[in-house]
Amino acid sequence: MALKALDIYKLLPKKNCKECGDPTCLTFAMKLAGGKADVELCPYLSDEAKSVLGASTRPPIRLIRVGMGERFFKVGEETVLYRHEKTFYHPPGIVFRVSDTQAPAEIAAVTRRVRDETFTRVGTDLRFSGIAIENTSGSAKTFAKAVATVEQEQAHLPPVLIAKDPAAHAAALVHCGSYRPLLHAATGENFKEMCALAKKYGCPLVIRAATPDGLARMVKDCTAEGVQDLVLDPAPENLGAFLTRSTQIRQLAITRLVPELGYPVYLDATATGQQDAAVALGIVKYASVIVTDPLSPGATKASLTLRQNIYTDPQKPIQMNPGLYRVGTPDKDAPVLMTVNFSLTFFTLQGYLESTRIPCFMLIVDTEGLSVLTAVAAGKLSEMLVRDSIKKFGVEDEVTHRKLIIPGYASPLSGRIEDATGWKVLVGPRDAAEIGEFLHEEWKK
Amino acid sequence: MAFDMNFGWTSTIGEVVLGATNADGGTRRRSYRIGGGTTLPFMEDRAGSPSPLIALEICDYLPFWPPIVTNYCGDLVNNVGEWAKAADGTYGADLIRLYLTSTRQRNFSDIASLGKVVEDVLAASSLPLIIEGSNEPKIDSEVFQKCGEVAQGERLLLGTAEAGKYRSIAAAALAYNHSIIAQSPIDINLAKQLNILLKEIGVQRDHIVIDPYTGALGYGFEYSYSAMERIRFSALKGDTDLAMPMVCSAIDSLTIKEVREAEPAVQDEMAIQWEFYTGIAAATAGAEIICVRHPGTIPLLRKAFTDMKKPGTAAEVR
Amino acid sequence: MRTVTFLPSYRKIDVERGTTVLDAAQRAGLSMNVVCGGLGKCGKCIVYIQSGRVDFDRQKYGRFFTEAELQKGACLACETTIQGDLHVVVPESTLIQEQKILVEGLDQEIDFRPSVKKYYVQLQPPSLADPSPDLSRLLWGIQKSGGPVAEKMYVPLEVLREMPGILRHSDWNVTATIGLVPGGYRVIDLQENDTSKRVYGAAVDLGSTTVVVYLWDLVTGKVVCVASNYNKQISCGEDILARVNFARKNGLVKLQALAAESINQALTTASNTAGIDREDIYEVVVAGNTVMTHMLLGIDPAYMIAEPYVPVVRRALSIAASRLGIACNPNGGVFAFPAVSDFIGGDIIADILACGMGEREEISLLVDIGTNFEVVLGNKEWMFSCAGAAGPALEGGEVLFGMRANPGAIEKIAIDPVTLDPKYSTINGIRPRGICGSGLIDLLAELLIACVIDRTGRINMEINNPRIRRNAHFPEYVIAWAKETDIGKDIVITENDIKNLIMSKASVHAACLSLMKEAGVTHNEISTIYFAGAFGNYLDKKNATIIGLIPEIAIDQIINIGNGAVAGANIALINRRARKTLDDIAYKIAYIELNAEKSFMDEYTGSTFLPHTDLTLFPGVQKLLESCRTRRE
Repeated sequence: MALKALDIYKLLPKKNCKECGDPTCLTFAMKLAGGKADVELCPYLSDEAKSVLGASTRPPIRLIRVGMGERFFKVGEETVLYRHEKTFYHPPGIVFRVSDTQAPAEIAAVTRRVRDETFTRVGTDLRFSGIAIENTSGSAKTFAKAVATVEQEQAHLPPVLIAKDPAAHAAALVHCGSYRPLLHAATGENFKEMCALAKKYGCPLVIRAATPDGLARMVKDCTAEGVQDLVLDPAPENLGAFLTRSTQIRQLAITRLVPELGYPVYLDATATGQQDAAVALGIVKYASVIVTDPLSPGATKASLTLRQNIYTDPQKPIQMNPGLYRVGTPDKDAPVLMTVNFSLTFFTLQGYLESTRIPCFMLIVDTEGLSVLTAVAAGKLSEMLVRDSIKKFGVEDEVTHRKLIIPGYASPLSGRIEDATGWKVLVGPRDAAEIGEFLHEEWKK
Repeated sequence: MAFDMNFGWTSTIGEVVLGATNADGGTRRRSYRIGGGTTLPFMEDRAGSPSPLIALEICDYLPFWPPIVTNYCGDLVNNVGEWAKAADGTYGADLIRLYLTSTRQRNFSDIASLGKVVEDVLAASSLPLIIEGSNEPKIDSEVFQKCGEVAQGERLLLGTAEAGKYRSIAAAALAYNHSIIAQSPIDINLAKQLNILLKEIGVQRDHIVIDPYTGALGYGFEYSYSAMERIRFSALKGDTDLAMPMVCSAIDSLTIKEVREAEPAVQDEMAIQWEFYTGIAAATAGAEIICVRHPGTIPLLRKAFTDMKKPGTAAEVR
Repeated sequence: MRTVTFLPSYRKIDVERGTTVLDAAQRAGLSMNVVCGGLGKCGKCIVYIQSGRVDFDRQKYGRFFTEAELQKGACLACETTIQGDLHVVVPESTLIQEQKILVEGLDQEIDFRPSVKKYYVQLQPPSLADPSPDLSRLLWGIQKSGGPVAEKMYVPLEVLREMPGILRHSDWNVTATIGLVPGGYRVIDLQENDTSKRVYGAAVDLGSTTVVVYLWDLVTGKVVCVASNYNKQISCGEDILARVNFARKNGLVKLQALAAESINQALTTASNTAGIDREDIYEVVVAGNTVMTHMLLGIDPAYMIAEPYVPVVRRALSIAASRLGIACNPNGGVFAFPAVSDFIGGDIIADILACGMGEREEISLLVDIGTNFEVVLGNKEWMFSCAGAAGPALEGGEVLFGMRANPGAIEKIAIDPVTLDPKYSTINGIRPRGICGSGLIDLLAELLIACVIDRTGRINMEINNPRIRRNAHFPEYVIAWAKETDIGKDIVITENDIKNLIMSKASVHAACLSLMKEAGVTHNEISTIYFAGAFGNYLDKKNATIIGLIPEIAIDQIINIGNGAVAGANIALINRRARKTLDDIAYKIAYIELNAEKSFMDEYTGSTFLPHTDLTLFPGVQKLLESCRTRRE
């Protein structure tokens, strides 16, 4: 668990020498605790203190990179079991599977879909992450051909090669070895050959075993062979098995009880027979590479949205673009409601406004994503900001009246906003759910 | 290596009983005992720990309901009894959650009609029932009294108590021995506060189900997800004021842009997947009742929950 | 001449053979304990001759010494004459004990060591035989009278210019005023004849609303007058932000002048009342918040109120009063307290100095509440601080019948748990006009205990009592019926008022918890909580705990320091050593930006409950409330 600033301070030399760039040891300790500084910056730290501090700041799960070019993805380097404890950093790669027994045209179509399909939400382009090619045919040659088909599309997508036979991998790697594919999988029998291939091409390697014990043993074997970039496949045969094993692995890795388990987790969503459920579970419960058959339109959007949600920094709210938003088709007499650009605030208010069926304007001001309450307390929401936003977004041209409804929690600013803008300020409810009633009763007056 | 899946938890989630059978003085064909968990959801090793319940939400006044559902279900939605019957039979829900949306009409005052609605639903289905009363403080008290009285002995789950309005619903629940949904806006502290308030006016812990409020996927769901995880976590760590089962109802799921504006051909699928992904995630975070509005979501969730309850065999693979 | 070296200070002085050791010591500036006046009767002026030749009658005075002391060379300074060069050890017990002074608001005695002192010297006029220049003559004279060593004194040009005239006009009898400045001493002023009894200093709390001045006699160590008035900057903006904006629009010069004028007005009132000449005020110590201090110094505060919120200076400054337009002696100095950040200013450093938390091992928590609040947690080794906007509710703002602590404000309330009738007292005992901060805190606690409100502050409308009713918008509780009041209408508190109060108290408490979390300290480890600021001494500590304004600790470990800014300024004025610790304190404090602190919102919502969502933090309050509830039921 993370050390407190004061615990760290006790380990520091307390010389306040400033050589780390901080004015005092205490402020340096605070930075260390927040992960914003490196232990090495302190020239006077004892080796003992360094090892205590180093262990608490080094991420317990290794960072693994899959693919080359602009679509590569990184996974791992997670530090917590629950996202509210800090955040989840690297969203899982969701990889579409094709089989080498499929027709080349089909394989190419899936490749193009992953290459091109984009779903834009709150200003971010959401995409699937890569292509997994599975050696169902059993033939190394067919496998290599399928891989070549994918590569022909020039999609530069991170590849995942799935084959039991190292020879098949060897044949496929001829085509895609320089793209840093993820190799699946090393098992008790083939790990020496798989490790040799991973080393030769510098690829990350999935190891497969059904128990944490087995995985930990295999990690030791593979690292002994010189392969460091590993991914763990706990080989779940059903959803319950995935949940249990993945949670165990994450728990043991984060607490450093079994440091050998400090690698990202791989999930074959198709193996459970419940692909959509597996994708959803993989996203929330610690999978870093999820292999699935191409998803339906509904599952596509739902899965990408869930991934975006879960991997949002809980401390850093998604922000809306500041501006003047319309609800319905408001006219020159329509109410203007001011609020902040914290997305949850925006969407909540928007939802309630839509259900009131009163056309209106929402004036969204830039509080850097802070909620009303925090923005007021932090001074981010000020009368100047409101005044400037009214000007900037041309609100005065949109309506003939000069009445602004502000959130209930911004009531301390009401007088100042009136002074700064010359608009009459109506203090709205604190709870967006009451906005309908408020508009009916106060605005109509 | 021996691995302890109990993560050092010290406490247990309290249990709440929903529905009463003949034996318990009600008319339901079965009742549920939810809660009782001792670790993270689906991590129990004891056999027979309950799977999350799936509730289908229905209502008595359609203008406030997503058209995608009413279109899908067809005419039967015009008769709340028929709708309840279908929920129980055709759609295969574990529970019915009845929204008395008629109370949300302006100046609604026909309290007596609500009694009839509740009676109809109780007659049409013998599943345990959740009833959502009014949103209007002026009629709250009467509405909850009416529901409580008509369904006396049935062990309803009554919704929804909030920090600003909990006295009238608590009074009805206490008078007729029903349980309460305690809703707070996505915040562990506010959830706990409401539970303390309820406790202090005499509502027992085993009569409270927490609703941490579920934002729709893509519209704040992550906050709800974390709030649920934190509530479960704190409860297992020994905070008895949070050790109640949770309900998840992402009521906006079917009205958000992605679903509302989906191509007609995939709209139902979009709606179902949206509810499905939400339900799966919420269940892993600790929700023990998952509410949905699209009947098509029910079988998918049920199948997934069954599989999620299976322990993995720990055999070494080749 | 014989050279006498006094140990352990190594002060040296050359004296005629035959001079008494006491004489030499006094000339060297050592204040010895001579109760009998140097007549060899009291035996207090014991010194030890370490080396050198002296005349001392051990037979005659032997009764004052033990055998061991005699072995070490003990003598009485007044009865010992110097024969050769000497090394004399002066034990601590022989030196005069410094005067102790009780600073208002504190149960703490402060050593009286002002940094300004006057020396009356009678100099030999120069002659052809003794042609040393005026300046050396003066400095030497000061040194001989017990002042600082001549080489360590600096004389500014202003004094030099006047010096020759004053010396001659006064027939070489002058009084020099010496001030301690960084790196040495400064001859602040030179006056004719003996004015050595007329040295005054002022400690100033420069608040954004009011200015408070304590005028001290720096000879006797007594406060001679206290005065206060409004900060004239109010004409440029009610709150700090408005004034910073005013400064931005080329208004800094005006704001600087107004700050000085505000201080001057208080100085004038105080000196007129005390009947002293403002020219005899040689030092003004100012503790103010960061923006106020910047403005007084004429430094642009605009950069400081935007990210990353760094002040221009973080250490204490000494400035000539004339440069700031402070109307004391024109050569007098102004000492400004250091600041840490935009929010943690000189006023808070003064609080810390006043409560002494920076000198102790045990952990203390300092809470200073005004419109903004500041919280400091720490001990002699480390300190964390943070600040935030409490909202004006705790000062009576944003509350329907809230008011500042002026006459007519209800300042104390108790509510009968059965009848729900309140008992209250007002400031000055007149009919009530409103409620001030301390009254609001009482009210909140009493309403909670009487079960009128629940823990979120909502009024239980099911209670059948005429005092509980609903107005157009909110439920409310009637504190005083129109006929009892001075304003002709019912004085009430509404549910909305209560919510505002809870939001305010939650900010303060959340800030405390954030610091405690940062430091990894639980409430059990806090030895003392110091309260400073708006509430003065009126705050009811128990009620403040019941509503969860501050963490629950033993009531007698909560200490009100009232106006800590002025208390700290007083200490810095009369004790120059304390002043030296200020930069240390300012340097030691780590500032935590609450908005950047991810846990703050959590702590905040947790604190929007009476007393707190986590009741285990308030075991005593919890017990009390449970028993109240049981009694009611």
